[in-house]
Amino acid sequence: MELTAFITVIISMVFVNNFILSKFLGLCPFLGVSKKTSSAVSMGAAVIFVMTLSGAITWLVYRFILVPLDITYLRTITFILVIASFVQFVEMVILKKSPVLYRALGIYLPLITTNCAVLGVTVLNIDNFFKGAQAVPYSFLLSVTQSFFAGVGFTLALLLMSGIREKLQLNDTPKAFQGVAIAFVIASLMSLAFMGFQGFRF
Amino acid sequence: MSDMFVVSTSPHLRHKDSISKIIWMVFLALVPAGLAGLYIFGPASLWVIIAAILSALVTEALILLLRGKKLRLFDGSAALTGLLLAYNLPSDVPLWIPVVGSFFAIAIAKQIFGGLGRNIFNPALAARAFLLISWPTYMTTWAKPFSYPDAISSATPLNLFKEGGMNLSQMGLSYWDLFLGNRGGCIGEVAVAALLAGALLLIALKIISLHIPLSYFISLGLFSWLFPARGGFATGDILFAILAGGVILGAFFMATDYSTSPLTRKGQIIFGLGCGLFTFIIRRWGGYPEGVSFSILIMNAFVPIIDRFTTPRVYGAKK
Amino acid sequence: MKLIREFTKGLFKQNPIFVIALGLCPALAVSTTMENALGMGAAATFVLVSSNIIVSAIRNIIPQKIRIPCFIVVIASFVTIVELLMAAYLPALAKSLGIFVPLIVVNCIILGRAEAFASKHKVLPSIMDGLGMGLGFTLALALVAAIREGLGSGKIFDVVVIKGYEPATMMVLAPGALLTLGILIAVTNLIKKRKA
Repeated sequence: MELTAFITVIISMVFVNNFILSKFLGLCPFLGVSKKTSSAVSMGAAVIFVMTLSGAITWLVYRFILVPLDITYLRTITFILVIASFVQFVEMVILKKSPVLYRALGIYLPLITTNCAVLGVTVLNIDNFFKGAQAVPYSFLLSVTQSFFAGVGFTLALLLMSGIREKLQLNDTPKAFQGVAIAFVIASLMSLAFMGFQGFRF
Repeated sequence: MSDMFVVSTSPHLRHKDSISKIIWMVFLALVPAGLAGLYIFGPASLWVIIAAILSALVTEALILLLRGKKLRLFDGSAALTGLLLAYNLPSDVPLWIPVVGSFFAIAIAKQIFGGLGRNIFNPALAARAFLLISWPTYMTTWAKPFSYPDAISSATPLNLFKEGGMNLSQMGLSYWDLFLGNRGGCIGEVAVAALLAGALLLIALKIISLHIPLSYFISLGLFSWLFPARGGFATGDILFAILAGGVILGAFFMATDYSTSPLTRKGQIIFGLGCGLFTFIIRRWGGYPEGVSFSILIMNAFVPIIDRFTTPRVYGAKK
Repeated sequence: MKLIREFTKGLFKQNPIFVIALGLCPALAVSTTMENALGMGAAATFVLVSSNIIVSAIRNIIPQKIRIPCFIVVIASFVTIVELLMAAYLPALAKSLGIFVPLIVVNCIILGRAEAFASKHKVLPSIMDGLGMGLGFTLALALVAAIREGLGSGKIFDVVVIKGYEPATMMVLAPGALLTLGILIAVTNLIKKRKA
């Protein structure tokens, strides 16, 4: 049934094809915002939100504007503009409606525009759930699910990394490895652990 | 020397066991399982064990020299890592496998993080995962028990179960065989009886507590019983799930490693339950027949977060 | 003389990948083989130089406030050109680079150079800057790819590196990419410390 397709997408995005640990999408914020657990959680929430809605909006734009006009080759440029203006819009709304939320999430929003994970998931949605110009069955719901859980996978990796890095601050790490280098080694070992999900079939 | 004047914060507890003594006790507790492995798989396994331990010691010495640290080889930690790695290898691997593995364990998984007690991931398991992904053919060619010197290859029970869909009697085995180690598998994981004897020693000496192993067995057993591989509900074989793979070795000797497991009891129970769940998921739906190493590694990554949410609040501190 | 300096700084001293840690995602994802690495390097260099030219040419016309969206449009247009050209003439490469071709848009190096350099300098220095940074990026990619392909499949460009070596498959997979980059950055740190 279709349920299997959804579960497969979820497991794939969170574990098997985790955006950070296996696709390397969103590495810059992963390295930049993973020093403290609290900011990792806020960043994760912001990314999940932006990714899910961007996934939905770009799907609609692709299906109802680009495909009918036969200009699917403008996908990249359209998507990046849609994402950038959407993030800008969210920033303005949050600033107006909830200054508290703005203080918690606001500083992460501009960072998200140039986060390759967001553009990555929207492009991946089209690649996976369109055959040529034709949407596969449940294409929209699958795209939204994929976007949401790609964000969840991103947040999971970010959260684990931030915990480990907080713990490592007290360590006698060799000088050359302090900072970004050790973060990559940790990510490598995490990715190694997640390789256990290789060949997952539900 | 300047360290001698640093006074740490109270309470100043003193314990008569030094870290090194604990490590050597764990080493000792693992010896029976190794002897059993030797008896079952023959002298090839002895060479694997020696190669793993020696190269672990050499790597540790080289890196400590490079980093300009005191050469503390006899704290036993490098030797124990080598031994555990060897226990997680098939008996007939070419000898460069344990050498490369020990190098990875000590250099990448341990020393880059600052050395003893600072590693986030269990070094032996990280090395095993690295070897399994890099050289899968060597790492999944198992010798048939008592077939040395010209070893005949065989599959592990979990492999036969997953790929061949066989049950225990179709494999020509009994629970008793699984308990005594008369089956294909890694050098140190097959002899369940010997592993349990070692575990009992560590529990009696209060070196390990039962929180992690028990919660590991409970969650793995429960999920395997509820969702059996061939469909149906609540008909799975619990005893097979626990005896057939590397869970006994993993749960008692590797998941309990001090520096890579949670501090509090509550945290340890969460850790054990998580290990069991991931082992079950990988065995049931993953590509690999066994998931103990990967599960413990995944839960290792969760430890700092688990600790953060389970350590008691300091009295008077605000959240 | 100054132009040459704009060119060479991107190669080593300010190497985008190892020193300022920008543009890491493609560095890891496409460095599985030397061919992919060079293909990606060439594509990114083309976009980098072209967008630097346009950005520096229009730097006095566009209003300060909307400059970033303008830069993004410029970059995205060139990325689309690359996408179409690659799909037409190098379909095999386009297929193996996959979504990382459109993702050149969000490669931080390109926007970073547009903002930090091209929007403040004349066209000629901007070209040199783009070329240098692009080449530095390509060199870094090639280095990572050489290590990963060499260790992970035992061959570079289908040439066997060491006879009898049994390749460590992990190196061409995700953990190998992260590990290689971590160690290379540590080595860079060591070299920087030696010099200082």
